[in-house]
Amino acid sequence: MLTLTNVSKIYEGKVAYRALTDISLDIETGEFVAIMGPSGSGKTTLLNIISTNDAPTTGQVEIEGKAPHQLKKNALAKFRRTELGFIFQDFNLLHTLTVEENIVLPLTLDGTRVKEMKEKAHQIAESLGIAAIMKKRTYEISGGQAQRVAIARAMIHQPKLLLADEPTGNLDSKASKDVMAMLEAINKQENTSLLMVTHDPQAASYSDRVVFIRDGKLHSEIHRGESRQAFFQKIIDMLSLMGGDGNDFSSVRV
Amino acid sequence: MTFRQFAFNNVLRNKRLYIAYFLSSMFTVMVVFTFAIFAFHPAFSEGTINQNVLLGMSVAGGIIYVFSFFFVLYSMSSFLQSRKKEFGLLIMLGASNKQIRLMVFLENILIGFFATVGGILTGLVFAKAILLVAENVLIISETLDFYIPTLAIVVTFVSFIFLFFCISIFVSFILRTNKLVDLIKGDKKSKGEPKASIILSVLAALLLIGGYGTAISVEGVYVVYAMIPVVIVVTLGTYLLFTQLSVFLIRLLKNNTSIFWRKTNMLLFSDLSFRLKDNARTFFMVAIISTVAFSAIGSLYGFQSIINGTKDPYSITYSPFLNDSKAIIEEDTNKINAILQEENIDAEMESLELNYYEIAEENALIISASDYNRFASLIVDKELHPEENEAVVVEQSGEAGGIVEDGPKASEWLMEANVQLEDGQELQPKRIVASSVLPTTSDGYYVVNDKDFERLGPPERKDHSVAWKLEEGQKDQIIEAGRKINNLEGDLQYKTFIVDYTIYEINKAYGPILFIGLFIGIVFFVSAGSFLYFRLFTDLDEEKRKFQAIAKIGLTQSELEKVVNQQVAILFFSPIIVALVHGAIALTALSRLFNYNLTVESSLVLGSFAFIQLLYFVIVRYIYVKQVKTVLR
Ligand SMILES: Nc1ncnc2c1ncn2[C@@H]1O[C@H](COP(=O)(O)OP(=O)(O)OP(=O)(O)O)[C@@H](O)[C@H]1O
Ligand SMILES: [Mg+2]
Repeated sequence: MLTLTNVSKIYEGKVAYRALTDISLDIETGEFVAIMGPSGSGKTTLLNIISTNDAPTTGQVEIEGKAPHQLKKNALAKFRRTELGFIFQDFNLLHTLTVEENIVLPLTLDGTRVKEMKEKAHQIAESLGIAAIMKKRTYEISGGQAQRVAIARAMIHQPKLLLADEPTGNLDSKASKDVMAMLEAINKQENTSLLMVTHDPQAASYSDRVVFIRDGKLHSEIHRGESRQAFFQKIIDMLSLMGGDGNDFSSVRV
Repeated sequence: MTFRQFAFNNVLRNKRLYIAYFLSSMFTVMVVFTFAIFAFHPAFSEGTINQNVLLGMSVAGGIIYVFSFFFVLYSMSSFLQSRKKEFGLLIMLGASNKQIRLMVFLENILIGFFATVGGILTGLVFAKAILLVAENVLIISETLDFYIPTLAIVVTFVSFIFLFFCISIFVSFILRTNKLVDLIKGDKKSKGEPKASIILSVLAALLLIGGYGTAISVEGVYVVYAMIPVVIVVTLGTYLLFTQLSVFLIRLLKNNTSIFWRKTNMLLFSDLSFRLKDNARTFFMVAIISTVAFSAIGSLYGFQSIINGTKDPYSITYSPFLNDSKAIIEEDTNKINAILQEENIDAEMESLELNYYEIAEENALIISASDYNRFASLIVDKELHPEENEAVVVEQSGEAGGIVEDGPKASEWLMEANVQLEDGQELQPKRIVASSVLPTTSDGYYVVNDKDFERLGPPERKDHSVAWKLEEGQKDQIIEAGRKINNLEGDLQYKTFIVDYTIYEINKAYGPILFIGLFIGIVFFVSAGSFLYFRLFTDLDEEKRKFQAIAKIGLTQSELEKVVNQQVAILFFSPIIVALVHGAIALTALSRLFNYNLTVESSLVLGSFAFIQLLYFVIVRYIYVKQVKTVLR
């Protein structure tokens, strides 16, 4: 479903900076992959390239057999809002809109019927537990609620590939468990492929596979076995093996 | 780094943010300075030019100065508005209120200083141009040479440094009221929709309809009485229109999900409603300022064409004083003829005795048909041939451009009364004719058959009138003749009326008014434009952030352009359309005051403004779209 071949990214500037080096990665339809790595290792950069918000310096990206980076601007915009769903690190909600309007935004742009939009929004809001705040404005809701709104918006049009940058970054452990359970459910029920960047081993343990990157290079990957507890332990081990001191990660979760 | 250095660097490093504020301040200074160059021109102070002009110019200068105060204040506050978050952060980092006020104060002084200097320098560049324009609009004999405007520089510099100083103090005072949370969340929280009440919305409609209705239904001098109430009512109506009706409409739209949720509508209208309060204020201000500009320029232009369109069939008319003897009349006409001769003017002259008779307890003028026809043939008009025992009522057709008099028309009472002959026979008038054949000040008179005329008996009062009709194309000579007649000793000048010369004199006196009016009108119109520009660009960063957010989800270029286009178009055209309607109504009222058709003039003035606005829209839209598009990839 998603194939990266030798993707590299060099940030031009006063000093050119090589953020990614020869990344090759394959994701199956319906697979749930987590990406982990120390801060500054290039995770967000990678996600931006996959989400077509940034272009790779060299290498190819293929989604569902299409090469989105080769598309014209308009076609690319359409591609984004039909095939992809995003959950951004900073939510990326529009504060001029209410929660409900934010959720249906991708659909309105495509000219979906109002009734259908209402139904879908309602259904998703129910399942994410945000039905009560649908009429509120974004500055009136908490970070965790905003996160769920962002998830609702990312999945309302049933994208084939859902990309999430630290979806639990702003949440306490209870809330992040809820969010992860939701993402897992979406992944299982809708067979949506999921690619998630995270610092949180707990969150990563919900995935089928964790890919570790370091200094812009693929470091290693581990697959989930039978139990999540064991997977979680393996992730922790890998992190300490990789990063020296585990503070990098524990500091993110308070 | 001291705090003062920090403030200084803040301005220099945030150039882009400050540039709009700086430019509009500079523009204001430039306008005032150009005006000062003109007003302080040596040609005026040497006293060859009318005192009224000087007075008019000081008044205009005052208006422009007061206006620039508010303009700069507005620019300033919208500039501060866009920096709320910055202040919030500074306060959070421990800057005291006093420090922030000091910073804003210093910034303002700095910007103000450079704006003043820059405005004066750019003004100097335009100085020659403005003097040339002035020279042509004003009918003055002197040429307005370029000069070193020391006085203008000093006055402008001092008054603007003073103005910026006051504003800086003023602004640092208003700043302190905000709460920290509000400052930091400032750009997320809508400043709120003004309250919309149905009653007020209806009131808005009623006020506008009432104001418009009155303005276009009154006639003649009543227009003058109605003017101030109508202006107040319409201004209020406009305010309510933008603060109430617009809120009402947007509410309606937002509640109607089938429209609001269609394609890009949500982006467009959510934004409009988010900034409704700011928008309503801007709309109102722009509408009113533009109305002033349109009406000022429109009526000045209208006036001018009314004056120049005044048609009198006779080039010169002479009406002696009541007790002037035949000899004096003879002497006067000879003098006039002599001057006409001197100037080589071809003219035909007719003179006439005007006999007034007592009819229905009033004095009525009665003319014999042959006298009437003599004049009619002079100006090539229709002759009148009343039957014996018939009296024709002639309504003096008002010269276009005269203020329409109040009360019943003269012909009405003339029709009701009847002419009594000496032998007691009565002539009942049967028809009315409108004509301007006779050079008389009477509003109406009778024309009777020559035979009946002889049977009228002795008149109550006698008057005299002499008129000259010139060949076409002797305008310069007649103006020269007019000047000579006016320079004669004695009171001949008060008895003669020379249309072309009078128009020339009026135009001469009117030139400065026209110039000043044009100047103020243009200043207002341009500043209305910069209000709009400010409104748009204050939120540019926020807009960019918004479109960037949407672009990440997927927004095509054409969708973005569509939203931005609609947004800018609504901002630019809704107040201007209102102003155009206001202006059209005002000019209609003016034309009814003078009973003079101003359709061409109004369409020309309003049309040009609409066109300029369109041009302005196209340019600003281009810049804006280009700016916003930078977020698309
Ligand atoms: N626009 C840019 N221009 C230049 N360098 C950049 C740019 N964006 C990121 N970088 C650099 O690329 C490297 C990778 O950045 P990236 O944001 O991908 O890290 P990350 O893995 O997401 O880190 P974190 O976990 O802290 O979010 C960093 O060293 C960063 O400094
Ligand atoms: Mg990151």
